[in-house]
Amino acid sequence: MRLLLLAALWVHLASSVLLMGAFFMLLLAGPSDRPIARRWEETVIAWSRLLVLVAIGSGIVWLLARTAVFEGRPQAALEPRAVWHAVLDTRPGLLWLARHGLLVVLATFLAIRVNVAETMNWIAARGEALVLSTLALALVSGSSHAAAVTERTVFALAGDVTHLLGTGVWMGGLIPLALLLRAASRDAGADVRPYAVLAARRFSRAALAAMILLMASGVMNAIVQVESMAGLAGTTHGRLLLAKLAVLVPILVLAVVNRTHILPALSGLLALSWPSAMRRLAAFVALEAALALVVLTLAAAMTLTTPARHAQPVWPLSFRLSLDALLDGPATKWRALLGGQLAVVGMVALIASLLVRRRRAPVLAGALALVAVGAGVGLPPLVVDAYPTTYRRPLVTYHAASIAPGMAVYREHCAMCHGTTGAGDGTSVEGRRRPLADLRSPPASRRHAGELFWLVTHGIAGRGMPGFESRLSEAERWDVINFIRALGAAQVSTGIGRQVEPERPWLVAPDFTVSVGPLAPGALRDYRGRRMVLVVLYTLPGSGARMTQLARSYDVLWITGVEVIAVPTHATLEAIRELGATSPPALFPVVTDGAPDIVETYRMFAPGPHAEILIDRQGYIRAIWKGETPETAVLLRQVEQLNDEKSVPPFPDDHVH
Amino acid sequence: MPVWQVVLVVNLTFAVGLGLGYASWGRRVEALDRELEATRARVERLEREQQARATGARAGEQQWEARGVVRAIFPRANMLVITHEEIRGLLPARTTSFQAVSPEVRGSVRVGDPIRFSLRGTLLDDAAIVAIARW
Repeated sequence: MRLLLLAALWVHLASSVLLMGAFFMLLLAGPSDRPIARRWEETVIAWSRLLVLVAIGSGIVWLLARTAVFEGRPQAALEPRAVWHAVLDTRPGLLWLARHGLLVVLATFLAIRVNVAETMNWIAARGEALVLSTLALALVSGSSHAAAVTERTVFALAGDVTHLLGTGVWMGGLIPLALLLRAASRDAGADVRPYAVLAARRFSRAALAAMILLMASGVMNAIVQVESMAGLAGTTHGRLLLAKLAVLVPILVLAVVNRTHILPALSGLLALSWPSAMRRLAAFVALEAALALVVLTLAAAMTLTTPARHAQPVWPLSFRLSLDALLDGPATKWRALLGGQLAVVGMVALIASLLVRRRRAPVLAGALALVAVGAGVGLPPLVVDAYPTTYRRPLVTYHAASIAPGMAVYREHCAMCHGTTGAGDGTSVEGRRRPLADLRSPPASRRHAGELFWLVTHGIAGRGMPGFESRLSEAERWDVINFIRALGAAQVSTGIGRQVEPERPWLVAPDFTVSVGPLAPGALRDYRGRRMVLVVLYTLPGSGARMTQLARSYDVLWITGVEVIAVPTHATLEAIRELGATSPPALFPVVTDGAPDIVETYRMFAPGPHAEILIDRQGYIRAIWKGETPETAVLLRQVEQLNDEKSVPPFPDDHVH
Repeated sequence: MPVWQVVLVVNLTFAVGLGLGYASWGRRVEALDRELEATRARVERLEREQQARATGARAGEQQWEARGVVRAIFPRANMLVITHEEIRGLLPARTTSFQAVSPEVRGSVRVGDPIRFSLRGTLLDDAAIVAIARW
């Protein structure tokens, strides 16, 4: 059924694109009274009549196939009620209706044979057909991936519409142009040759503009839908895009040859050489159109695959480039810098070679050699190992409910070798010649989460690291990775003290669930963008005095933008009752469920029976008080500092990377 | 009639049709949506009023049902501070202080108890707790 959907979509897209291009080409060439030109125009109109019917027919097949795919039953395609529902109750359905309404009007308009001898009438007739076919083509993007983008939908849609209309102008115009050139190259077409050359030249200019628009909107679409190199190389959607670009290369070569060699030959005074040049141009243009139809197949397939931004990438190479590798030492840094500079000089020379006319070949060769040498010198230090799962997005978020279970799994399966703190000093590795890497060190923390996932799943052959694919579930493996990330974060969190460092948020606060009694729970991340949060890990009776103090200053803290979340180290439903004894009563949220996970996670950053952690509005840990309590005045100064911050960093990602 | 005039008429018909279509039908749909929302709110309010009257409330009073956890009790003021879930038509989820209509209503609830409670009044300022049950 998906194949039928793809075929129908391709036919529908191709016919819509060809329709628009045909009328664009007719208008571009202008009216002519030469019989051959008139015959060419009639042929194009006759084909358009057929194309509009094909577009409507394939559109109907596409709708039926889509209904079957969405309903999950092939027979739904023939049930009027299901089809009716797909048309009237979904946005793509309504747009389908509008599009086909326009196509029906266009079909009627084309079916009526009118007298267009007068220029005004001719322009009106062809212009109306162009307007209707353009609108119908533009509406295709309303049911594309671009319409499903949630942020800046208008930009995504504008990019998609531009891409479609650019395709219509460039690709749709190619076949009518090839037909015209073919007709003009024949012996009988001598009188129409100037008209054909003029049309080809106008089209060349329009196609260049369309191609620039296509490239720009294509890049924009790719940024929105593919997002990353991993998405490009590692997903079906991304690989289809790469295939599309690969087919585009010969098309561009043909276009450049046409523009720089064949078209100028047609402007010479030697009209005798025109027919052969025209035949060649017609053949090249037809070849370009055939390749463009292949591009359209790939585009239709892209429409039917999950956009790369939503798919899990499978990295195809055994290496990747990482700028982090430069942090390893000055030697690699200098080598990469030297290579980079050589490549830049090479690129400048490359551009210069395109601009200069004299001695172009040696300059070009030198430029390419410089780029190659630069890449050869600069890239090797940036190469690091990569695995199929390198860019896989974690299944679970960086959350206390994942980190704490990850800690338990780590203690059971990993600590004997890697040590309880991750330092690589476990009991079962004593006497090994090669010590284990410190999991908290930068080389380990720089690894992508997906890489850790691969190593935990499959182990490292030859290094004694076993694979845990059969022993741990996928979620458990991600839990361990979240815990390892938290270990690294805890190691560097010693850099965060009791004073807020102005404008320097860098340590992400692990999320946690805030459950107060049996009420519907909230989450730490719910406060993002709204309030700062002071997480208070407390143990009674030791923390009693401090809790009373906090209860007393809660009003002031609230007014200055702080929510206090109290997490008892021994949480029960009684926790609220126990705190209720303070005077005035503590009215801030007191976590009564899931507190052990929060305590275990946050104690990695702040050990001890009592600790307070100040988290800013964006979700970063900014100050930590371990085993001691800040004076209210000191706390308020830190809050004031955060309130005064000018720069607003982005919210941290919910997943580790 | 020349083709250009036909085309002009067709396009004008399109434009006027779309414009009028939106002016009469599109705007009507928007107005109906707003009206539906307002009516829904009214029905909800009437339901709350009906519920309130069934338990002997005065005219114009509504009744809200909610769940929460008792955070503090001020017996002399006959007031309870409750961390509650969203109370539809009255308050979002937060911690709020409410008056109880009488000390008996408060019964034996203690700080930390999860409770279901009913509020009655005409608006937030005079909404008071009329019933409490342990959850």
